[in-house]
Amino acid sequence: MKKRKLVPFLAITLVASLGVTACSFGGGAKDDKDTLVIASRSEPKELDTAKTTDGPSGIVTANVQEGLYRHAKDGKSVEPALVDGEPQVSADKLTYTFKIRDAKWSDGKPVRAQDFEFAWKRTLTPETAAEYAMILWDLKNGRAFNEKKTAKVEDVGVKALDDKTLEVKLEKPLPYLKNLLAFPMYLPQREDIVKQYGKDFAKNAKANVYNGPYKLVDWKQKQSLTLEKNENYWDAATVKTKKIEIKVMTDASAAINAYTTGQVQVANVGGDFIQKYKDDKEAVAIKEPTSAMMIMNQKNKFLANTKVRQALQLAFDSKEYQQGVLQDKSTAAGGLVPGNVKGNGKDLEKLFRESAPAEPKFDVTEAKRLLAEGLKELGMDKAPELELIGDDTTSAKRHGEYVKDSFKKNLGVDVKISSLPFQQRRDRTTNGQFDLVAFLWQGDYNDAMSYLDLFVTGGPFNYAKWSNKEYDALIKKAQENKSGDSQERLDAMIQAEKILLDEAVIIPEYYRTMTYLVKPTVKDMVFSSEGFGEELSFKWVQKK
Amino acid sequence: MARYILKRFSLMIVTLFIIITATFFLIHSLPGSPLQNAEKLTPELQAQILAQYGLDQPIHIQYFKYLGGLVQGDLGTSIANGQSVTGLLMNGFSASVFIGAQGLILGIVIGLILGVLAALKRNTWIDSFATGTSIIGVSVPSFVLAATLSYFIGVELGWLPANLWGTYEHTILPSIALSFPVVAQISRYVRTEMVEVLEQDYMRTAKAKGISRLAITVKHALRNALIPAVTVMGPLAAGIITGSLVVESIFAVPGMGKIFVDSITSKDYTMVMGSTIFYSVLIISALFIVDLLYGIIDPRIRISGAKE
Amino acid sequence: MSTEKTYTPELFEPIGQLEKRAEQLNRKQVGVWKDAWLRFRQNKGALIGVALLLVIGLLAIFGPLMNDHNWETQNLAIKNQSANIDGHYMGTDHFGRDLWQRVWYGAKISLEIAFLAVFLDVVIGVTIGGISGYFGGRIDMFIQRFIEVIYSIPNLIIIIMLLMWMEPGILAIAIAIALTGWVPMSRIVRAQILKLRSQEYVLAARTLGASHKRILLKHLIPNVMGPIIIAVTFSIPSAIFFEAFLSFIGLGIRPPEASLGLLISEGNQILQLFPHVLLWPALVLSVLMLAFNLVGDGLRDALDPRMKK
Repeated sequence: MKKRKLVPFLAITLVASLGVTACSFGGGAKDDKDTLVIASRSEPKELDTAKTTDGPSGIVTANVQEGLYRHAKDGKSVEPALVDGEPQVSADKLTYTFKIRDAKWSDGKPVRAQDFEFAWKRTLTPETAAEYAMILWDLKNGRAFNEKKTAKVEDVGVKALDDKTLEVKLEKPLPYLKNLLAFPMYLPQREDIVKQYGKDFAKNAKANVYNGPYKLVDWKQKQSLTLEKNENYWDAATVKTKKIEIKVMTDASAAINAYTTGQVQVANVGGDFIQKYKDDKEAVAIKEPTSAMMIMNQKNKFLANTKVRQALQLAFDSKEYQQGVLQDKSTAAGGLVPGNVKGNGKDLEKLFRESAPAEPKFDVTEAKRLLAEGLKELGMDKAPELELIGDDTTSAKRHGEYVKDSFKKNLGVDVKISSLPFQQRRDRTTNGQFDLVAFLWQGDYNDAMSYLDLFVTGGPFNYAKWSNKEYDALIKKAQENKSGDSQERLDAMIQAEKILLDEAVIIPEYYRTMTYLVKPTVKDMVFSSEGFGEELSFKWVQKK
Repeated sequence: MARYILKRFSLMIVTLFIIITATFFLIHSLPGSPLQNAEKLTPELQAQILAQYGLDQPIHIQYFKYLGGLVQGDLGTSIANGQSVTGLLMNGFSASVFIGAQGLILGIVIGLILGVLAALKRNTWIDSFATGTSIIGVSVPSFVLAATLSYFIGVELGWLPANLWGTYEHTILPSIALSFPVVAQISRYVRTEMVEVLEQDYMRTAKAKGISRLAITVKHALRNALIPAVTVMGPLAAGIITGSLVVESIFAVPGMGKIFVDSITSKDYTMVMGSTIFYSVLIISALFIVDLLYGIIDPRIRISGAKE
Repeated sequence: MSTEKTYTPELFEPIGQLEKRAEQLNRKQVGVWKDAWLRFRQNKGALIGVALLLVIGLLAIFGPLMNDHNWETQNLAIKNQSANIDGHYMGTDHFGRDLWQRVWYGAKISLEIAFLAVFLDVVIGVTIGGISGYFGGRIDMFIQRFIEVIYSIPNLIIIIMLLMWMEPGILAIAIAIALTGWVPMSRIVRAQILKLRSQEYVLAARTLGASHKRILLKHLIPNVMGPIIIAVTFSIPSAIFFEAFLSFIGLGIRPPEASLGLLISEGNQILQLFPHVLLWPALVLSVLMLAFNLVGDGLRDALDPRMKK
């Protein structure tokens, strides 16, 4: 009797466990012309455009929503999207009036100027707790309202004059306003939808409406997102591909394997694989506005000495690091501001680095001399061990390994590497519990100021705890730009960066370049490096 | 039987309660803030977001609130992305359980067959083959196997999908990778036991009575040999859960492994609690099933009369 | 039986005084351990295992002396070389470090972690299992419930949390592994003690007034030594495995240090490009696992009385 029970028992277990999954095999990863499959390294964290902060979310929102401007097909500039014609600008360049073109949401309702007003004010409302609300501080009274100070919601400089007209008032003239308007925080949102879903708004595919080239139809957390062509999109005729699948693949070699076997057609490659594909026709390099550096904590007595810092700066060979360890198409850095960031001087399109070139410096002899002098000034006979904190990712660990070996070999300075989980690393960075920290900064907007204002006295990201009156004055001058002379503004920024580098506040490492693999069958896939992280635009993409 | 199951069940609930309590206080005592972007937040905003998740309250209040939600089947929302923990777990659940169960069953079946054959045909090539397989299974880490399988069978040979999820073929390689250690353990145990059992007196008696060879093997030998094999199934099932963490990431299986590790390192309290409860329930149930199986296979262990 | 042999009375002779000879053992007397050793010696697999362990152990100690490199100096100019040039017997890794050095250094670290973890396993497992089995009753029940809880928590969560608290190094990882690894050990000890404590000699010792401590330490533990030793030989490879697993998911030893698991994890990232970086550490790890398992099998056969035939 007992044995007779055993067999059915095993059988039931088997059938039950297989049955559980029968439902999970939905659509297979078929390679058809209408579906494009993308591998993403991480999962979108927040698709509510008021609160988005991460790259993967930016990729989704840029394709399912549309604002006044969007990143153009050339991947560099912005082009008009929902704005109808050029805006009217007041003489003091502080008031803009935008006309909104005829466009619809995915539920058929028209896009109205009120949707913009609602979304922007919602982002600024303190209770929304939007982490990137500061992007909207350039609106008149934006900051004052957001920080619960003097202004009320009706004082904020955005107003729908009627369904089709939006009036925007600014705090100060903004040469890069159009770029800013392509940001997720400047996308419209529907008040009725936000109210209807409340806490669940944008938490799943159904809890939002879309006005972009695609609409989100499915979102399996940590797994995949499915976008389908939005037939209600005003420019739907341009959209060629019916379906986009974004697969979340965290393991680098898994993404490569899937790409090699054709299961995905676009994949991000990092680390070692780049060398295999570097000069391949399928590899697309996208320069990011990201600057990688090490920051030295000047609360440490040893690192407070300028000569010591200069020695460390000279003992890091950023060229060797880029070629030997990163092995990708990033650029070895000699300064703070990445090469593709604008200076917004006289020529608005001219890049900051073109006006202020900064070559990577590496000089072991000079570094040793400076270290010896620095130690003498400090009355020390040996450099103390320095703790370098970084993330616990593969690339961050490799960075640590390289730095440790470099400083030991070139200067005889011992480095202890602490690889920490993201949150812990961040907490220790903000609390100043480190000697050296590996730091990546991506500008919030396309202007050198987005990098340079990090290091003003008391700035929240001035982890070096460095303070220099001259630097502060220059930054303030450029920010206020009282004369309105954009060249003067640029000069002030160039001078400020020079002080920062001469004082060796940071050790510049590289300006990041991402590499994507794209199958030859995929045409007109647009990569843009503006905004939060690299952004993929599927509006024009076609599969042959 | 029913009473025994009831008793076991109530013990399982108590165990689970202790686990929940211990994990709750442990995870809340870890250093670091659970907020993803605290770097860019003003202190007031941080406080506000913490308040949204009820993290500003004293820890014991949070604990009772959590328990209250749990009783109503509410696992809360993930701090990392604001989505419901139950939803996140359900997404990964089926894939994880599928490759886990398939790997375990595959491993047990192959392990049994290999073990029995090896014992019956001692010192032949079958025996050597079984020993060889079991040696690979015990001595090569499953993540090395997984990476090699994915690359060679999936990419170089192209016989099966290298990774990802979608069709049944996608489940084969991850299941094989997971099954190797199981095959190794089971075949080893079964072989050793079978060899011993085959030499017992009652086997000779059975043979003398003229029972067919197949019947002897299945009825007498295998059944007795199974007992120790069943004992290791509990730990094996737990081992598969651990193994699946790496295997899932190598094969890009949309399972729970990644969610789990990520949630701990990022201090996503609710997510950690949710996945801990989930895995604990799995392990506890596996142990329970093993206990039941044990009783079914070995009549000497009288479940109904079992007492502590 | 059917042999046609004729037996004649001449073939038999009386052996004389029976009582005297009856007490005498013809076979040479052998103690338990000697007996086990004799058995072990005849096990070919076990001997191969011992030999492999000796080779790896010696290489882990002396291997680094066999070429002029060290485990940490980088040389990016010669990274990922698979050929044996300039004394790089196993080639170089992605930083141009000598793999020969790193593999043996890593093997040493892996073994240190494993031995330390198993030592802790034994200390905790024997204590808890001993107490639980010897005293039985309420204490036993309490401990068994406790073990059930420990066993049902996914051990990774305990380990990850511990590693977030402690500086990840040899000690922290060993503690993390031992924290959940002692459970099987305690079970084995408990089961044995439960069996032994009801035997006559224990009763006799108790009647003669021996203390709990004395009975446990002098009578019970020595008799449990066999199973403990067997469990230890199987715990070491699983600790090595677990360390490798932790390193693989990025929670183990931190680079630029090395352990076999870390080296494998680094090699795995470039498997498709430079397979040798994975091959060597994976090979050493596998041989090590194999050797411990062979020795463990041999010891079990030799020490486990159940297997005596």
